[in-house]
Amino acid sequence: MSIVKYKKTAPRDAPLSETTFIGWLQKNLFSSWVNTILTIISLYIVYAVVKSLWFWGIQDAVWVAENRRECFAISKHGACWAGVLIWLDNIFYGRFPRDELWRVNLGGLLLVLWMAPLWLPRVKDKIFIGLSTVFLYPFLAGYLFAGGDKGIFMQVMVSGAIVCLAGNTLHSILGVMSGRGLPEVLIGILRKENASDGNQRNTLLVILAVAYVIAYALQTSWSVMAVPWSKWGGMHLTLVISGIGITSALPGGIVLALGRRSRLPVIRVLSVSFIEIFRSVPLITVLFMATTMFPLFMPEGFVLNKLVQVIIAVCLFSACYMAETVRAGLQAIPKGQYEAAHTIGLGYWGMMSLIVMPQALKHMIPNIVGSFIGLLKDTTLVSIIGLFDLLGMLRAISQDIPWRGLHHEPLIFGAALYFVVCFVMSKYSRHLEVKLSAGGER
Amino acid sequence: MAIDDSGKTATLKPKAKFDFFHDERVRSTAYQILTACVVGWSAWYLITNTAHNLEVRGMNTGFGFLTATAGFDTDFKLIEYKPGVGTYGRIFLIGCINTLLVSFLAIILSTVLGFAVGVLRLSSNWLVARLALAYVEVVRNTPLLLQIIFWYVGVFALLPRVKNSLDLSAGAEVAFLNNRGLYAAWPVLDDMFWMTIFAFFVAVAGVLLLRRWAHRRQDETGKQFPVLAASIALLIVFPYLVYLASGSTLNWDVPKLQGFNFAGGAALPPAFLALLVALVSYHAAHLAEAVRAGILSVDKGQTEAALAIGLRPNKANSLIIIPQAMRAIVPPMISLWMNVVKNSSLAIAIGYSDVVALFMQTALNQAGYAVEMVGMTMAFYMFISLSISGVLNIYNKRVQLEER
Repeated sequence: MSIVKYKKTAPRDAPLSETTFIGWLQKNLFSSWVNTILTIISLYIVYAVVKSLWFWGIQDAVWVAENRRECFAISKHGACWAGVLIWLDNIFYGRFPRDELWRVNLGGLLLVLWMAPLWLPRVKDKIFIGLSTVFLYPFLAGYLFAGGDKGIFMQVMVSGAIVCLAGNTLHSILGVMSGRGLPEVLIGILRKENASDGNQRNTLLVILAVAYVIAYALQTSWSVMAVPWSKWGGMHLTLVISGIGITSALPGGIVLALGRRSRLPVIRVLSVSFIEIFRSVPLITVLFMATTMFPLFMPEGFVLNKLVQVIIAVCLFSACYMAETVRAGLQAIPKGQYEAAHTIGLGYWGMMSLIVMPQALKHMIPNIVGSFIGLLKDTTLVSIIGLFDLLGMLRAISQDIPWRGLHHEPLIFGAALYFVVCFVMSKYSRHLEVKLSAGGER
Repeated sequence: MAIDDSGKTATLKPKAKFDFFHDERVRSTAYQILTACVVGWSAWYLITNTAHNLEVRGMNTGFGFLTATAGFDTDFKLIEYKPGVGTYGRIFLIGCINTLLVSFLAIILSTVLGFAVGVLRLSSNWLVARLALAYVEVVRNTPLLLQIIFWYVGVFALLPRVKNSLDLSAGAEVAFLNNRGLYAAWPVLDDMFWMTIFAFFVAVAGVLLLRRWAHRRQDETGKQFPVLAASIALLIVFPYLVYLASGSTLNWDVPKLQGFNFAGGAALPPAFLALLVALVSYHAAHLAEAVRAGILSVDKGQTEAALAIGLRPNKANSLIIIPQAMRAIVPPMISLWMNVVKNSSLAIAIGYSDVVALFMQTALNQAGYAVEMVGMTMAFYMFISLSISGVLNIYNKRVQLEER
């Protein structure tokens, strides 16, 4: 016997919890009595925090005032944002001369201009753009920030940077518009498409040389006022220290990580002890070592300024942390890749630079962004040894006579600033992680 | 055999000639010697420079200062010290103990809080999970130093003055919080109290034995024994009985307001409290992420399999899920512990006298001896870090998956 239905059964309705708001509430907030209690407690916490922040920070806050006393006169229980607003330039630029602030802004803008092509999908030769950012941009920015007389070395590097920046920008614009690179277009304009490779290369080199000479001539007539390092400060100084830290950490970290994985015992032992020593002590002791012991290490009469000492310490410290990141990246590369590289006849450096490192670096990008976030947060420590970085400036507000004792507002503002920067970067690194790993799973 | 132009026969040998410049052993030895020379030369250069500079500046060297008396005082110390009588060696010891004390407390509290928040992050309650996420993200994305300073100048410095102290014990007047710190009653132990402590250790040993016995009995007969309840009972009842039997009395040293400040009891300065709170909240947020990742790393099939063989949900958790999650949680947790110790050095920003603030700053400014003092402080941290990572290595060896 069999039961046969000739009519199709209608699909059941979706459960209430999936369709209605009340259902969702019941499933996610009130599924059991424990959950209900937790929900009520959480609601109360949210309410209390939002309410006090709203009344203190916005409703009762004072935005315009001359000093803290005036703030109190206007509103007794509100935040005194006026102090933070008046100090805003100091928070971002430190004591950089006010007429020269455009130099800091221009430096930041150039970095954006330089690195923007890395995010444009149609632009080619991104490795070159990335490398030029690391090796040439610091000189241009360094001159913009420090100013003064250019030595011959600085002149050479600054003109190189200018040529490179112009080339990069043209290259990217052409890339976005036509999908072709700058060299290709130049060859096309000169009608040398059919010339030999050597001929093409020589033509390009001549163009490069001409551009370089023009840039050199231009930059000799261009000079800006010298600004001593002690005037640097605020967010600018924070970004300078952590920027130099992270760019030098990468090559340093790669060398140390390769040393750690080396088969040669002397090199391995030296790398391991260097990495472990710096990783096992706090950054503040390294900074103290830099400021108290570097002057003793140097030959007599050779004086390093405090900023350079701090930067050297930060570089050493971050290189050792980066070495562990790189090592993790190297360990993720299967042994077969090394063996295959050997099989096709590559030596150690060929194997590392052509086969292993490109793959390992791809794995490491999220962690590198993570280290950068860590370094950005760790640079606050330089305020302890007397540099006025972002945190140093925030604390200086409460020492300023009109604003004496204004602690909460600057610190909360600074925390918000750090939070925005770090949060955006960490979300971006999560996004990269997902995007990069998508290619690996087939 | 091959015949060359001259008609003579020559044997084709498989490249027997020793090529000096392309031989791997020669090359690797040369690289190593080269590296050793460069490193050795730089070290020698730095050392001679330092020696020369020390001589030129007339700075003293050597560790003789450790027995010299120090003329400054410190506001927080657990061991006896008097300025003008105590030595620099004693100062170093006080600093180390202070660092270890705050790190130890921070490690314990942040581990508890971190596990709690990590579990809340995975809660099925949408609001609770979001709230835990907000806490984790806010704390992780702001600098620790900023948080420490905020707790110090923004919270603990704003507490009421001594006269209007907050009574934490709700009227019993045994614990007070004010802008000079936390004052709490402290037990005064009499001569016979060692027996109670001894009894406690006996009870701990008893618990361990009980666990082994219960385990063996379950393996043999399948019967379970309520180990947890029995252990708690043992730990409390046995020392208490001994305490009564030995006739010792436990007195409490209660803080009392005398003049402008509290006297008696145990006192913790606000800098200590601010540092502790900041360290705990910061590292708990980091640990919460590790805990969450560890629990998520256990395959869902494990839960299903555990339920399929008839385990109840809480047994499945405690016997199947958590032991596997711990394998992923413990290594990052231990490296976080290491970070707690290292980050406690930020105490210098708010004036808690840890080893960096007391020895590497104050003592260094007083006495000089930069090389020795910086070296000793670094050696202290290295010793702690190496000990903790030694523990981690032992743990990793024990829980490593047995690969087939």
